Amino acid sequence: MAFLALDGLTASYGGKADVLSDVSLRFAKGEVVGLIGPSGSGKSSLLRALVGLLKPRAGKVTIGDEVVDYGSRASLRAARDRFAIVFQQYNLFQNMTALRNVAIAPTLVKKRPSAQVEEEARALLTKVGLGAKFNAYPDELSGGQQQRVAIARALALHPDILLLDEVTSALDPELVNEVLDTIRALHADGMTMLIVSHEMAFIREVATTVVFMDQGRVVEVGPPAQIFDAPQSPRLKEFTAKILRH
Amino acid sequence: MSYSLIYSQVTGHIPYLLAGAWLTLQLAAISFVVGWVIGLFNATILSYGPRGARWFVQGYVTFFINTPLLVQVFFIFFVLPEAGILLSPYAAVAIGMSLNAGAYLTEIQRAGFASLRRAEIDAATAMGFSLPQMVWYVIVPHIAKALYPPLANQFIIQVMTTSIAAIFAVEELTGRAYNVNSLTFRSLEVFSITAVIYIALTLVCSLALALIGRWLFRVQAKVI
Repeated sequence: MAFLALDGLTASYGGKADVLSDVSLRFAKGEVVGLIGPSGSGKSSLLRALVGLLKPRAGKVTIGDEVVDYGSRASLRAARDRFAIVFQQYNLFQNMTALRNVAIAPTLVKKRPSAQVEEEARALLTKVGLGAKFNAYPDELSGGQQQRVAIARALALHPDILLLDEVTSALDPELVNEVLDTIRALHADGMTMLIVSHEMAFIREVATTVVFMDQGRVVEVGPPAQIFDAPQSPRLKEFTAKILRH
Repeated sequence: MSYSLIYSQVTGHIPYLLAGAWLTLQLAAISFVVGWVIGLFNATILSYGPRGARWFVQGYVTFFINTPLLVQVFFIFFVLPEAGILLSPYAAVAIGMSLNAGAYLTEIQRAGFASLRRAEIDAATAMGFSLPQMVWYVIVPHIAKALYPPLANQFIIQVMTTSIAAIFAVEELTGRAYNVNSLTFRSLEVFSITAVIYIALTLVCSLALALIGRWLFRVQAKVI
């Protein structure tokens, strides 16, 4: 029984060419899915479609036994309840402290008691190594710290599935590891994650399943050993031949 | 140069000048607030309105930015009476300055709207914020912070600009300085004192605005 199922998901930005065409995938709970592929292959669009930032034109998304209808408000709200996304550029609220960034959505959207949310937000920030930065504003934090606030903010929503969209590609090489360590820890906790990344070594290490996409389509799906060492499709062979030389 | 400074002939008029400074502040405040509302309305139309309305607003902005304020007030004061609209000098200046500031504040606020960060809106949307929650917690704080420094700047400009009211015999600071000068003929003394009052006025305003900005938005504005 798949925990997350995508069937024929198709989407485009404002009537232009499809950025996602006929994407069908199935994942079990606790899986870490690495989404790889060249720029413009639809990896980020797939994550944006799942949280309803990009409206699918056709296809079906099922979480557990719940079908998400991206046209209906209630259903979209339910989907946003299940997914939390972390963006490449962190997308933190600049006018709020780290603590408020983490605490605002649970209090405002999920109507949980603020004292309890705040306590949890402190715990989450401490967990991602920012115990001393509760009251810092985003512009007072480094990129790596901001990205960890963004991860804590996503976790505060108690998502069933965490979506990570190139979370390390805006960071200095030195800061990449602090974010990767955070993700490793989440993996150890059993969090289901979809990770779009160009950090191939990292994907290979943490992913249970790797999805290779090109031009909006899923080209190949398999365990890391297959994708990186024994690619089946010609397009993936070409891709891995290029990237794995570095 | 055999001019000797005699401030004693002018110092008695300082309270009179200060009362003029109060009127200066009033004119600046009124024209700024009215101009701000005009600008907010116009900027909303320019950013989100229908094409016809955008052209109308753009025409207004182009006209008021590309003609001198003095000419605009002359027009209001001397030409409108032909159409039966008689205005006091104070009203003519206040209306002219408001319309003029409205044009500049339209451009400033349009730029503020354009600076909205898509990224924060995406994050709020994905987390399930409703539209009112997004406007109140994400959009308004951002726009207010982005706009605060240029708006504060425009207010200081308004304070200086009020001096054109003297031409229409409005007794604000420059108008009163002109009066004192006619009485005493101590021009250097009168206008140096006037200059000091203007500097004090703008410094106090700048300081107040900077402190408010720091308190509200963490804006690290330089006071001077």
